[in-house]
Amino acid sequence: MKRRVFAAFGALVIASILTLAFVLPAEYDLDPLGTGAILGLLGLSGQTTDTSRAILAPMDSKPVRDVRTYSLPPFASVEFKYDLAEGAVMIYEWESTAEVVFDFHAEPTIGGEAATQSFSQGRTSGESGSYIAPFDGIHGWFWENRSLANVTVVVKTNGFMTGGTEYRDNDKIQVQIGE
Amino acid sequence: MSRRGRITLVGLVVAIVAVPVLAHNIGEGNAAFVQSLTGPALAAFTYLGAKHMVTGIDHILFLVGVVFYLHRLKDVVLYATLFTIGHSTTLLAGVLAEWSMNAYIVDAIIGLSVVYKAYENIGGFENWRWSPDPRAAVLVFGLCHGMGLATKLQELTLSADGLLVNLASFNVGVELGQVIALFAVVAILAWWRRQESFERSAYGLNFTLMVLGFILAEYQLAGYFLSTNGTA
Repeated sequence: MKRRVFAAFGALVIASILTLAFVLPAEYDLDPLGTGAILGLLGLSGQTTDTSRAILAPMDSKPVRDVRTYSLPPFASVEFKYDLAEGAVMIYEWESTAEVVFDFHAEPTIGGEAATQSFSQGRTSGESGSYIAPFDGIHGWFWENRSLANVTVVVKTNGFMTGGTEYRDNDKIQVQIGE
Repeated sequence: MSRRGRITLVGLVVAIVAVPVLAHNIGEGNAAFVQSLTGPALAAFTYLGAKHMVTGIDHILFLVGVVFYLHRLKDVVLYATLFTIGHSTTLLAGVLAEWSMNAYIVDAIIGLSVVYKAYENIGGFENWRWSPDPRAAVLVFGLCHGMGLATKLQELTLSADGLLVNLASFNVGVELGQVIALFAVVAILAWWRRQESFERSAYGLNFTLMVLGFILAEYQLAGYFLSTNGTA
């Protein structure tokens, strides 16, 4: 009988090691043995035990208001991206005189084009909302006029952007933002 | 084909059908759908009940432990019935009477039920002055598993309209899922028992069940302590 109690205890020990080594890192982002980091299990859960996303986040810089206006002839497109640091907030409002195809996406500085993520896309004549940059990089819109008439797109933003770049007809133009 | 061969074949077919159900985890989708329902939805709840059972690794592992040494179909039916009575009782009572129990704690206990059954299988309770009647144990653990099912169902806000019908359908689904799972488990065990390696590997498998049961329990306890319930 003692052997079986010993077996049960052994099972408990093995289970605890496996739980600490694999299950906690994968499911709860906890890594008491450091195995999660070594094996790359952290982040699997998609949870962030990161409490640095504060409810109130004072910034070192002042917020910038910016307005951009683009005239798009039929089937023309333009891309405009702001530079934003991770956690920086931007309130946006864009409107177009007719429906356009748009895609709001962001490209991280670390990771580049391959790690681009799109957060909003579709076909509409405007959208407004708030954005919290998930990483350092460039964040902004692609607009395309798919109609046979000229369309004007106006985008107004207020936030902690530090710069802007226009991408038009294979040109990349850095612009001054702010009023 | 021998009788056992036929059982095995049917069992394998059933198991293959169960795999897509296992792999298809649309948990959040289910929750959203259920929350949008008002009124009776028999088929939806029956399916959900079956899916909960077949994808519930903790329930499956317990069943594996229970039927491990049951050779006769008669015994499998007896124990399955005891388990069913147990979990149906607490599932129905728990949801209707709105018992509130912490889901993590209940699931941790379910994990320990797996350990208990596997320990019993390796003869852990032999030579004890008193050990629980295995049938009573299965019934009592059935009550625990049912509480687990109830807490899962409670997490989906169920509309009061049609609650009884939906709950009953869910229970029927759980039983169907149990039959599917048992069929596969019993078939595989029946085949395996005919292999010469069975006696040697039986201990190993039950040891593994104990490890898995402990992992489940620890995983749930960790969830408990990390959630606000544990820190409040």
